[in-house]
Order: sequence, then C-alpha cells, then structure tokens
Amino acid sequence: MKGLCFLISVFLLASCATLPAIQEPSSAHVKEPILCPFPFLQEKTRFIHTIDVQAAGQTKAVMIGVTVADPASRMFSCAIMSTEGMVVFEAVAGSEGVKVIRALPPFDKPDFARNMMDDMELIFLEPAGELVEKGVFVSGDVVCRRRQEQGGWVDVVAGHDGRVQIRRYSECGALKRTVNMDGNSRDAYKTIELRSAGWLGYSLMMTLIESEMVRDMPPVQK
Amino acid sequence: MRQNSFLKLTCLALFYLLISPVWSVSADDFAKLRKDSARISTMTADFVQKKSMKILSKPLISNGKFYYAAPDSIRWEYSKPLKSVVLSGKGQTKRYIPSGGKMVEDKTGGAKAMQIVLGDVAGWMNGKYDTNPAFTATIREGNDTMITMTPTGKNMAGMIEKIEIAISQKNASVKSVRIVESATSETQIDFQNVVVNKSIDPSVFQVVQ
Repeated sequence: MKGLCFLISVFLLASCATLPAIQEPSSAHVKEPILCPFPFLQEKTRFIHTIDVQAAGQTKAVMIGVTVADPASRMFSCAIMSTEGMVVFEAVAGSEGVKVIRALPPFDKPDFARNMMDDMELIFLEPAGELVEKGVFVSGDVVCRRRQEQGGWVDVVAGHDGRVQIRRYSECGALKRTVNMDGNSRDAYKTIELRSAGWLGYSLMMTLIESEMVRDMPPVQK
Repeated sequence: MRQNSFLKLTCLALFYLLISPVWSVSADDFAKLRKDSARISTMTADFVQKKSMKILSKPLISNGKFYYAAPDSIRWEYSKPLKSVVLSGKGQTKRYIPSGGKMVEDKTGGAKAMQIVLGDVAGWMNGKYDTNPAFTATIREGNDTMITMTPTGKNMAGMIEKIEIAISQKNASVKSVRIVESATSETQIDFQNVVVNKSIDPSVFQVVQ
C-alpha cells in the first residue's frame, strides 16, 4: 500500500511542472510596448483542412476536417470525414456544451468530442481568460499568458521567425497542447500543427484546402 | 462495425454501377445480370465525388480513378484533395495514404474495413447483388434508369438512408451514384470516361507511388 501511494505521488509530481518563466523585456525591447500575438479569428469563418494524424512520428490516418468557427458567439461546428466521403464525426459546441450529431467508432469514445472542441477553440479563438502576464521568454520570444476560467494557463508566443505558438498548460503547469501556425498573417491557418503531450501523445498536421468568411443570413422580416 | 457496413454499401454501389451492363437491368432478372457481368474483363473510369453537408456552403469535390481487372483486381484511387489508394486482389487488400511526401500503407482499422469491403467484390463482380440481405433493390424507368437500394436492417439506421444509381437510357452508360446518409448529408459520385474490356497494365494493381 505504501508502495502504491509512493508511485501515485511520483506520478502526480511528474505530471506537474513549473510554467516557463516570463521575464521583463531587455532594455533593447523596452522602446516599444509588448503587443500580444493575435493569430486568432476575427470573423466567422469556414475552413476545410486535410488532417494528418501522427503518433510516434508515423502517420496513422489522413482525414478531411471541416470547421466553422464564430469568434463572436464562440460557437463551433466540426465534421471529420474519410477520403471516401464517409462522415465519421460531426458535432457543434457553444455555451451550452457539446452536441454530437454523428460519431462512428473510434470517434465515439468518451471525451473525444469535448477534447476535439477544446483543441479547435485553442487553435481558432482568442483565449477567453484574463491576461495575467506578458513579457519575453529567455529565448527572447514575446509571450502573453492567460489564466483560463476553467483552470489552467494558455501562452501565446511570437517567435523570432514570425511564427506563432500557442501552449496550453494544466492547472499545475504541465504542458498539454502545443499549436504551431504561420503567424498573424492571413495565411495563419494555412498549415497548423497541434501536438498533444503525454505518454499517448499525438500530433495533427492540418493543411488548408480552402477557407471562406461565413455571412449569416439576417432574420426574415415578417 | 457500423463503419464497415457503411463502406460496404458505398463500395457495393460503386461496383454495382461500374460493372452492371445496363442493357441487362431488369427488376426480376438478377440471373441474367450475373451472366452479363461475366462479360466484363477490365474497366477504367474517372470519377468526381461531391460531398454535401449542412456544414458546407457548397459541395466538397474529390476526384480520382477506378480500375478493375477480372477476376478480382481493383485499384480505387483518390487524387484530390487528398490522395489515397486501395489495391485489392488475390484475397488481399491494402490501403495507402500520403506520409512525408510518399505513399505508405495504412495499417489502421480503416484498411481492415476496406479489406472487408473489397473481400466481397468477387461476389459483386459475378452480379450477385440480390444475395446481400443488407438491402433491397428496386428499378424505376424514366429519362434515366434509376436503381434504388434501401438498407433492410436496423444496423444501418442513422448511417445511410438509400443509394440511388442513375443509368442513362440514351447511351446505356452509368451516370452517377447518390448515397444519402441523412436529410442533410449525401455523397454524389459521377462517372466519366468509362472504358471496358481494354487491356490494363498489371502494375496498376501492384504499384503505388
């Protein structure tokens, strides 16, 4: 029993980490105020991406993903289909939670829909939490850190190469997700890499097929 | 299981329209259909697939090529927007997907599902459409001959409502197949440039680059 408790304690300790330290910018940077990177959507947009699912460095599946994301309402619609056109997963998410419309195995597993919608939110929408700190990492990359309302932290990092990285941490500072994208340009969603940390880590390589603004039809006047 | 069933019906529709000599189509003459199917030794066709869903503002277009050589060699190749190739023959089925700039074998459940699907192809190539208890088939004459296949079992509930196959009466060629998943989701596959009984290089069924 003592051994089990010890193992559990070790596991819990190993699961936690310290958030990367954010420093004041050096004197060279102080001339200009730090602007938080903002690669996120500003209008309701529909994306169609190819999705390359990799684990252990190898491609496990290739799919086609459709996402409609609305930053104003923070609502999502997502669908995943095979090359052959078979829709294996479809769901919508918003303030009232996640509603799964269709989920075929293995996409019907518990928490898949919630985790997927959380990932989509991380990629496409500005983090909802309070901005608690901004500055630079030791590398000099600009970072803005937000405290998530549901717990945990999100860093949005602007790299020297112009690319943007989004990192989500657990409440105790363990890295959970990393998103790499092209930056603040209109091509930000051309290629997206999402990495899941942990023993069963995976990565999604998303390559844009097409995107378009979505104009909602105004309500019909009676 | 439901996924496999869906794929089976999709493939069934594909092969049904591709290998059925339309002049033989008759509501009650599946025996003749089997006899006429045996006349086809090879087949190639281009296809354009249009996927319609509520989430899409316009259909998502995919295209590719289909090859068949008797008795059981098949190559089902998507080229855009995402490449994938299924090779089947001599009791083996392999699916290939792009990875790192080259095509690699898909060893996930998807490939196994395709193996189950294409494992039934030999039966379909012999015109045994009426022996599959998973659906019923009806024929309606009009400008086009329309074959409607409706799932009979509850295991298809929520997955597929019907499959419609349109055959031109003008030139006796198969025009399209429509797979209706629900009121808001369907897949239309239009076939073009169908060529039968013309020699196909055997490497088509063996090599994926």
